[in-house]
Amino acid sequence: MSTADRFQTARSTLLVDRFMTSFIKIGGIAIILAVFAIFFFILIEIIPLFQGARVSPVGQRQGPAGDAVVFGVDEWGRLPFLLQEDGTLHFLPRDQEPFSHRLALAASERITAAAYDQLHQHITVGTSQGRVLRVVLGYQSRLLEDGTTEVLAAPQSAEAYALGEAGLPITAIGFGESHAAKLVTILQEAADGRQRLSAAAFTIARNMLGQVRIEQLWERDLTSLLTGRIDQLLVDGKAEHIVVATADGEVSVFAANDEGVEIFQRGFRPFADLPDPRIASMHYLNGDVSLVFSSVGGANRIWSLFIDPQLQRRQYGQTKVFPDTAGAATVYARSIRNKAFLLASGNQVSLRYATTETVRWQSELPFTVADAVIAGKYDRLLLRAPDGVIHEYALRDPHPEAGLRAFFGKVWYEGRAQPEYEWQSSGATDDFEPKLSLVPLVFGSLKGTFYALLFALPIALLGAVYVSEFMHHRFKIIVKPTIEIMASLPSVVLGFLAALWLAPLVENRVPSVLICLIGLPLGALAFGALWTRLPRAWRSWLRPGYEFLLFAPVMLLIAAVCWQLGPPLERLLFGGDFRQWWPQATGASFEQRNSLVVGFMMGFAVIPIIFTIVEDALSNVPPALRSGSLALGASRWQTAMRIVVPTASAGILSAIMIGFGRAVGETMIVVMATGNTPVMDINIFNGMRTLSANIAVELPEAPHGGTLYRTLFLGAMLLFLLTFVVNTAAEVLRQHLREKYKTV
Amino acid sequence: MTLPMPALRSDGRPRGEPLVWLTAMGLSVGLAMIVALLAVIVVQGVSVFWPKRVHAIKLHDGTTLLGEILKTRERRDGQGEELQVFVGNRDSWGNAFRWIDRRAIADLEQPSGVIEVERVEYGDAIGYPVRLLLADGSALDADDPAFRPRIAELVREVVERRAEIFHLERRVIGRNSRAINEQEVLLRRAKRTGDAALAERARAEQQRLKEEYERLAEEATRLRALQNANRLVIRLIDGRERRISLGTVVAVTWPNDMSFSERLGYFFGNLWTFLSDNPREANTEGGIFPAIFGTFVMTLLMSIAVTPFGVLAAIYLREYAKQGPFVRAVRISINNLAGVPSIVFGVFGLGFFVYIVGGTIDELFFTDRLPEPTYGTGGILWASLTLALMTVPVVIVATEESIAAVPRGMREGSLALGASKWQTIQRIVMPAAVPGILTGLILAMARGAGEVAPLMLVGVVKLAPSLPIDGNWNATDIIPFLHLEQKFMHLGFHIYDLGFQSPDSDAAVPMVFATTLLLITLVVVLNLAAILMRERLRRKYQTGAF
Repeated sequence: MSTADRFQTARSTLLVDRFMTSFIKIGGIAIILAVFAIFFFILIEIIPLFQGARVSPVGQRQGPAGDAVVFGVDEWGRLPFLLQEDGTLHFLPRDQEPFSHRLALAASERITAAAYDQLHQHITVGTSQGRVLRVVLGYQSRLLEDGTTEVLAAPQSAEAYALGEAGLPITAIGFGESHAAKLVTILQEAADGRQRLSAAAFTIARNMLGQVRIEQLWERDLTSLLTGRIDQLLVDGKAEHIVVATADGEVSVFAANDEGVEIFQRGFRPFADLPDPRIASMHYLNGDVSLVFSSVGGANRIWSLFIDPQLQRRQYGQTKVFPDTAGAATVYARSIRNKAFLLASGNQVSLRYATTETVRWQSELPFTVADAVIAGKYDRLLLRAPDGVIHEYALRDPHPEAGLRAFFGKVWYEGRAQPEYEWQSSGATDDFEPKLSLVPLVFGSLKGTFYALLFALPIALLGAVYVSEFMHHRFKIIVKPTIEIMASLPSVVLGFLAALWLAPLVENRVPSVLICLIGLPLGALAFGALWTRLPRAWRSWLRPGYEFLLFAPVMLLIAAVCWQLGPPLERLLFGGDFRQWWPQATGASFEQRNSLVVGFMMGFAVIPIIFTIVEDALSNVPPALRSGSLALGASRWQTAMRIVVPTASAGILSAIMIGFGRAVGETMIVVMATGNTPVMDINIFNGMRTLSANIAVELPEAPHGGTLYRTLFLGAMLLFLLTFVVNTAAEVLRQHLREKYKTV
Repeated sequence: MTLPMPALRSDGRPRGEPLVWLTAMGLSVGLAMIVALLAVIVVQGVSVFWPKRVHAIKLHDGTTLLGEILKTRERRDGQGEELQVFVGNRDSWGNAFRWIDRRAIADLEQPSGVIEVERVEYGDAIGYPVRLLLADGSALDADDPAFRPRIAELVREVVERRAEIFHLERRVIGRNSRAINEQEVLLRRAKRTGDAALAERARAEQQRLKEEYERLAEEATRLRALQNANRLVIRLIDGRERRISLGTVVAVTWPNDMSFSERLGYFFGNLWTFLSDNPREANTEGGIFPAIFGTFVMTLLMSIAVTPFGVLAAIYLREYAKQGPFVRAVRISINNLAGVPSIVFGVFGLGFFVYIVGGTIDELFFTDRLPEPTYGTGGILWASLTLALMTVPVVIVATEESIAAVPRGMREGSLALGASKWQTIQRIVMPAAVPGILTGLILAMARGAGEVAPLMLVGVVKLAPSLPIDGNWNATDIIPFLHLEQKFMHLGFHIYDLGFQSPDSDAAVPMVFATTLLLITLVVVLNLAAILMRERLRRKYQTGAF
């Protein structure tokens, strides 16, 4: 072995070293990337919320040409049908032979009006001979051997209703059904142009043989109640309202009840401000609370039913304005799953979402749209051209109710008197409109944080100044670990104590708590002033830096006195019971689990963090500065306040920011110690719902991939960004401070 | 320019002294808060296990109550105080807790001979014993000297038999029915793959298991019948007599006839039951063993996941990455990730681990169990990984700090002697850094053990049917005995669930305080260990540098 070889490193060592170098590099980078992948993963989950609808053609089928009275489709979007004037129902499956069914009409009888209920799949038709018939479409889906399903239709004529003037042709019809009765409204027109508007309610009774007997409860002739030529007619699905529009663009609403009909709202004009106020089409939105109007000129507005705050009664008022369509939108289709609707004018098609007042998709098609329908699951569009071709489009719009406006803007929800920020993600009924405003939640987070910092900041800052500037250093080895233990208390424990121990305790003694909050600092100042007036000999008994030991029993005494002072004060000022006095005096509510309790308990979580960082920042101020100040004759308080604290101010600011970050994201304390109601109210004796609590409460129940699920991810993203940005700013401040000390 | 204010006031006293006292108040309040909080938890938590005396409370209106006085509180109208009394016998009185105005009490005494019977359901029964109705038809009166030894003996028998029944029903029959389900899954697999032999085998096995089930069920029924052979008659305070089947009895105590040492014995007995038993009655009675075990396994899995990753990333950042503004930015970001709310990690865990990773695993390996999810739902593995992700910044920061604290001289010496970079790290840097890494790990464990919010999203439940580690090896399992996909119980979630979701909140409070005490003890001990270790390290580096 030559000498050169002796100093050569073994090959295996080099190999291992090379391997470990690349292993650690790749592994380290991978882990760091993985940690940051959280951000991107959440981002990817929320992107679909902000995407519009995607519509793509999937095929077409030939149907009979000419006008259709009704064009509709089953809930799975597989088997569209077409009702023609002569009473033929054509069913048009994609891969099979079309088939048809004829309604039982007289020889020369024509269908002149129809109302299609897509939810329950039946049609109410009015004929040229003044008859009203109901047709049940009888859609069914059947599972086949090979696992696919087949959609069948077995149309069937149901009841016939008799109302109005016999034999007079029906030009418009409306049908609604409440649990008590079925409401039919028809508009008839004679050859001389005379119109007659009648409404009648029916019940269906079945006798023991199973025969159906239709009984008329009442019938009213509404013609005399209106002036002008009636053009359009609607009845809502719950048989509450009859909406009538005249040719000159005036809308009147009648309310139906057990005995008949009364005027509900007379003569409003949705397009009164336009040069041409005529209404091209008028339809209910899903839920039958909002009316979608489009004008002859292409304007598109929604009027909704809400309680007018001035009149103190329900009425229709304008809530939304949409961009204009190219021309009069005579073709309308609504989704039966959400608040989407489709307007078509010539060859322009526009899919809109009522809640968020947005156009989800708009396009010019190569054909004129004569009829349109949105399939039940909001995943298919079927558009019919006048030549009979039915164009089928796949609709991918999983989150129509989302969007920047829904999350952060004021939205005028159905039934509300004005646009509001509101969070209410789920409701009991199918036509529920999810309210997804994150503003009340952000407000709740900030409110909780505000009260927590209001309570925690003075204690943490004063305590840190005392420990670092005045306290004898021998106590540091006890005080600092104690505060660290405080930081480690699980928040579920704090939340539980807040709710089950502190909240009931505070509830009875609010005045005592308020007196304590004022009394303790005043007591401390007074005691300090008294102490400095004592003779020097007495004072020298207490070494500097031991003050807090003497103050602890004094503090307990002050607290006890303040606690006992509460009830007398309550009798004196608040009429004996603060909990009743507060709502009367301020109009704000009083809850047992309120922001005061949350602020106090969140203080436990925030105080140690702020304390530790501030104490570090103060202790890191070079001692020479302190010595210099003292040597020049400044008192210890002056040194602390004029020299040390200003020098460490950046560190103190960064501590406050980190405390803020901790409080904003706190979950369990808030979940447990507040009522979790998403209200926007700064009242300290009220609860709130924070972003984090909202996630904890709602995410376990949210279906994977749904709008609520992604919205909660958006909430998580907000929290992430908020804390990350604030903490980074704090960290940069701190580093800047460290640089500064180096030069001092 | 303003003139500086003189440091001494005109009377010769230094300026700002009262304000110094104000800052002292800040510290005193902070310390008082933490002391008060710990005191509340310790006092309330410990008193749960201490056997209380039963008082006979005579009221001015002539009625008498028999129960344990739990606490006093101020009346809502501010007029005096009221006492909360645990009167038990929920089956007779509807509510086991009563609030009584202190002024309504005429007389208080502790009558001897009161018996307190802890039952499997309806909580405790409190009254005077009358007689024991035995299986052979004879009766034993309460004033017979043989009564107390006899009842103690019978209760012991009953408790042992109950354990046997529990074992039979939960473990043996449970395993049996799981195995039947497994064969069902195998049948589905056989159908999918067209494996006739497997189908035949599974069908035969299922038949055998079903027969075995019949036999076991019969045995369980026989044991249950034995349980209810003897009955105890007690007289309630209103004079009614109640028969209590001994089969429902957990323990019998004579609270007013116990000496101090007996009470101490019961105290530790109760404590042991709490730590080792399964919960009963919607978690408000019995023990919390599954929650302790769940917390332990989850924290362990989390530590296993977090240590190598955290250490590897820290070594990279400190030893291999080129120090510059970029690495500094990464370091700041990692530091800040520790400040990101825990619920955000929970959201990530649910979306990524549960739905994406878990869903994929289910599709690849557990096709036959679908649509029943195996890994595609919350479970202990996903909970551990979520918490590992949450605590990895803590470990990275601690490791980095301890690596940075290793003196340069040691590193340079090693390199100068010809060691490679990896050898230096392996033999010189890491051994010196181990205590620091451990400190970080302990802190991470303390944080993980106390965290609840993210767990609520990724697999914690109020009552888990079985433990994540047991003796079951199911036919379609991939790993035997360790069921990482299983949902689990957790101490922190137990507190939340008991305190807020419990139907009988008065009955749940003692249990919550006891659980809180345990959790706090765990977390405080872990933190103290970390603090002590760090102090020792600091001293070592102050003196032991080159």
